[in-house]
Amino acid sequence: MSAPFLPSLLLEDLVVKRGGRTIIAKLGLSVAAGEVVGIVGKNGGGKSTLLMAIAGVLAPTEGRIMIAGANVWGSSTQRRASRRALGYVPENADPPGFLLGGELWAMCAASRGVAGPSDALVEAMGLDELRDVAIERMSLGQRRRACIAGALLGPPTLLVLDEPDNGLDAKRLTVLGDLVSGHCAENNSAIVATHDRDLLTRIAARIVEI
Amino acid sequence: MRAVIVPSVRRALPVWIGAGIVGAVIFGGTGMAPRDLTQLALRTPGLALGLGLAWLLLFVPVARLLVRDDETRFLRSLPFPQWAPRLIAAGALVALQVPWLILWLVGEGGFGGALALALTPIIAVLALVRGRPPRGVPVWRGPITALLGVYARALRRRARDALLRAAGLALVAGGAAGLFVRNNGLAPADASVLAASVIAVVLVPGWAGTLLPLCEVHGQARWLASSLGASDRMRVGVLGTAIGMVYVGAMVIAVAIAAVVVGELAVALVLVPVGVGTALGLALVVTRGVVWAEASVTPAAKVVLASMVASALAVVMLGWFGAVGVVALVTFGLAAVPVGGRESAELASVK
Repeated sequence: MSAPFLPSLLLEDLVVKRGGRTIIAKLGLSVAAGEVVGIVGKNGGGKSTLLMAIAGVLAPTEGRIMIAGANVWGSSTQRRASRRALGYVPENADPPGFLLGGELWAMCAASRGVAGPSDALVEAMGLDELRDVAIERMSLGQRRRACIAGALLGPPTLLVLDEPDNGLDAKRLTVLGDLVSGHCAENNSAIVATHDRDLLTRIAARIVEI
Repeated sequence: MRAVIVPSVRRALPVWIGAGIVGAVIFGGTGMAPRDLTQLALRTPGLALGLGLAWLLLFVPVARLLVRDDETRFLRSLPFPQWAPRLIAAGALVALQVPWLILWLVGEGGFGGALALALTPIIAVLALVRGRPPRGVPVWRGPITALLGVYARALRRRARDALLRAAGLALVAGGAAGLFVRNNGLAPADASVLAASVIAVVLVPGWAGTLLPLCEVHGQARWLASSLGASDRMRVGVLGTAIGMVYVGAMVIAVAIAAVVVGELAVALVLVPVGVGTALGLALVVTRGVVWAEASVTPAAKVVLASMVASALAVVMLGWFGAVGVVALVTFGLAAVPVGGRESAELASVK
């Protein structure tokens, strides 16, 4: 858990180019501990690209990304520290399809050096039914639940969710909102890209348009 | 007919290629005729058993597509007799065993053909066996073991048939290399170089089939591994380890068979390090190829190409430098393996 004065996420003059096109231009953003930030914008506006850069999946062209004081694209020690403080679910939620749900959580837990899903998380996300199911046999909603569970292990200082509402039914969407709110109530933070303004209102997110 | 035959032919193709290479080595280079081999097999139960086992390993994965109707279940909804796909599959089950049938028909005539077909019911029964679905949550002690566990599962779940084929080809490759060496009467070092070269070539269709699932998982796991703190160097290291396990495993089987066929301790003592070293060097070169293929839009073609180029390189180095060529191959492989990969290239532009 980060110290109260240290932002969970700090973006400084971030520029991301893909295929010669500038997707993110000189973006600055700070997410305080305990805060939820909702990223909104039109399709193709760069929401997923931004979250990929924050999650350490896509290297930015310029600028700096700090998670809990560690540079996501800095030295190997900094990189490891930043990613230990991070839980990420991409838009497609598509880890290797042959993995079972339980194996995905085991991988997340082993990489971050934390325990597997708590009983409360298993109950809230209905993980029992996904433990022995291959990801390629899951529906989009089930896949997303499995990935969100993996991202929540720790729990991480910063939760990065890209379109988390895709494929989730109303009940699970409510549970997701509660989980994100509960996560941030413990002085952790979340950054959520979505088109669902209702979800952002429910989790009391500060909205950033890109 | 297309729905039944085409996927099976596609899966049988590497087996035919492998059998073709072995045929060229045994029946071309040494002047041995098919009848010599079949007669030897009929007189030597161990050889007969080995040949039969090799064919089972090679053909059961092909037979799986024909015997199980997983891929053709949709045909039941079409308006034609239900027995038609089964009849076509039964015919294909015999016809696709072309190399095995030719060997025995040419060697022993009709009797040989009947002998060859006697294995078909066993193949069909083995092809029907389904493994238990995976269950349980593994306990991994760190990111490297977790990533290695993921790649191992890719091999077990996506490349099981390819692994069986590689094991079958390893038996055949070892036998072919052993016969080739025995008939040439070479000194141990030269014999080992010759055997390792033959094995490196014959095993190409076996190894190549295991590489595509590893290439796919390398790409699919990228976002997950990156967001969990696994560097590209770690991912490439784990990929290389998984490829190394496959290459060395198949080479060990082939070397063991070759050593038995040659029957000389002096040759075996040199063949083991030369063979294993060649496999390690090949794995390193192929790791570079798989990383290259993963970033391309035609990964399947590129992993096959990488596998072929690596084996050709091994043969050239062993041919030029003899047993020392193993060191040259490993050195080349170490230099070729990308230590930073795409991530480093992207980072170079970050201020």
